[in-house]
Amino acid sequence: MNAQSSQQQPNDGRHDDDAALTDFLASLMDYTPTIPDELVEHYLAKSGFQCPDVRLTRLVAVATQKFIADVATDALQYCKARQSAVVKDKRDKQQKDKRLILTMEDLSKALQEYGVNVKHQDYFADSPSAGLDPVARDE
Amino acid sequence: MSDGGKAESKIGKESPIVRAGEDNFGLAISRIAVAQICENVGFESFNESALDSLADLAIRYLLDLGKTAKFYSNLAGRTECNVFDIIQGLEDLGMSSGFSAASDVGVNCAISSGVVAEIRGYVESAQESPFAQPVPHFPVIREWRTIPSFLQMGETPEFKHIPEWLPAFPDPHTYIHSAMWNERVSDPRTDKIELARQHRKAERALLSLQQRLVCNGLSVASTSVEPDTGGNGLEVNDIKNQVLANPLEAGDQDESPVVLPGKLSGEAHMENHISLLETFAPAIEAMKDGLSDSGNDGEKNFSGKRPVVLPSKLSGEARTEKRVSFLEAFAPAIEAMKDGLSDSGNYGEKSFPGKRPAVCLEFKGGKKVFGESLDLRIRNKTNGRTAPWFGREDEKDDKKRRVEFILRQSMENQQELT
Repeated sequence: MNAQSSQQQPNDGRHDDDAALTDFLASLMDYTPTIPDELVEHYLAKSGFQCPDVRLTRLVAVATQKFIADVATDALQYCKARQSAVVKDKRDKQQKDKRLILTMEDLSKALQEYGVNVKHQDYFADSPSAGLDPVARDE
Repeated sequence: MSDGGKAESKIGKESPIVRAGEDNFGLAISRIAVAQICENVGFESFNESALDSLADLAIRYLLDLGKTAKFYSNLAGRTECNVFDIIQGLEDLGMSSGFSAASDVGVNCAISSGVVAEIRGYVESAQESPFAQPVPHFPVIREWRTIPSFLQMGETPEFKHIPEWLPAFPDPHTYIHSAMWNERVSDPRTDKIELARQHRKAERALLSLQQRLVCNGLSVASTSVEPDTGGNGLEVNDIKNQVLANPLEAGDQDESPVVLPGKLSGEAHMENHISLLETFAPAIEAMKDGLSDSGNDGEKNFSGKRPVVLPSKLSGEARTEKRVSFLEAFAPAIEAMKDGLSDSGNYGEKSFPGKRPAVCLEFKGGKKVFGESLDLRIRNKTNGRTAPWFGREDEKDDKKRRVEFILRQSMENQQELT
């Protein structure tokens, strides 16, 4: 890679970093990301990203996977937090609630931190003032 | 995700009509991949909408990353991206959530960036779960069949200003209407003549059959009853049964024809045996009088439903047909009468028999019998007249015309038979 070779200047720190990076990229090849390569290549080509190197596509795939995993982890946290809040119910309900379900609510809360606003409509109303208090509607 | 607006609008802009979207395949794969990731994280099940949102988000992230990396590479004056572009892109996208050593971005080398460390950590810690199914390379590019060039077709362009490597012109038969080669030249006149010939053939066959019947009847009826002389009787028998459905006139039973060989078992023979002369005499008289008949003839039943040659009818309507059939058999005798007929003034426009006028030809298929064309002519004639349809005079004219027509045909048959 051009940038790497140009940076192989007499700087040991950088040299180590280079080595680390190359090692890392080499290790990437062993790791098969969950997101398939073809999908990543398709969308990168769509956005104008041009690179014949497979390692870079793997890098992008891994980065995306990490991102999604982070979001999912946060949503899981929210889900577990909500479940623990309902502990006061009977045993049966607890056992049923052990199932961790990815809901829209948790997802939107998790994504809020990442700057993504996902608001899911619980129901669809035919007018903006539907469901409001009569006082608010008058206003 | 400020830069991602364009990419998102590209994906999200779809017509309200539901159709196979551009990205359905990619979305489906993304859903599966995201579901697998979530499963690894710890989720057990998903809401559909949540899964769809997350899959869409993953695709957008991919596009954003690619766009940002491309932007950085272009900024550096390159078209191809490298790892540093990606790292910088990652830093850009991760700015909102923060990563370690974020303050060192732009200052130090990108290699020592925090994002790389994070990814590395992720790779080492996360369990490897490759995608569940093999994914084909997509999108599949369809090979377009291009129009072959002049050179490929082996043609030379007609005009000098057209180079050979351009696509060839279409074949002239695609845009010039050329005359189609007709195998059969359809001439309406020849068609008519052919049709008339075929009709005549059929009539000839009927006539010959009738003559055979007459001969048989002559040999049989003059003396005594004889058994069936062949299949003719059966044929006649059948037709007779049909005819028997019509109401019989009381007085007409005596007029039953002579030519009924073989069906006489159990019937009153005397009714059926009338000598030829007996039937002949009234026939001749009728010819001279213009074939005046009983009132039943007004029905115009000789319009062709029953062949004229049938000698076996017992109803009064069949009388004229009967007589006429005998006339055909004994053509020379009839010839003498013919002169008398043609003199009558009612046949204004008729040509002399012997020459078949073209207007006689009836092109109705299958039911062509003697009386039909005559009928048409009669109808055409009477349309002009205001006389009542069932008037006697018309009947006379009709019958005269019919007789003449049959005479003409018999003349022809005479020529052909002899």
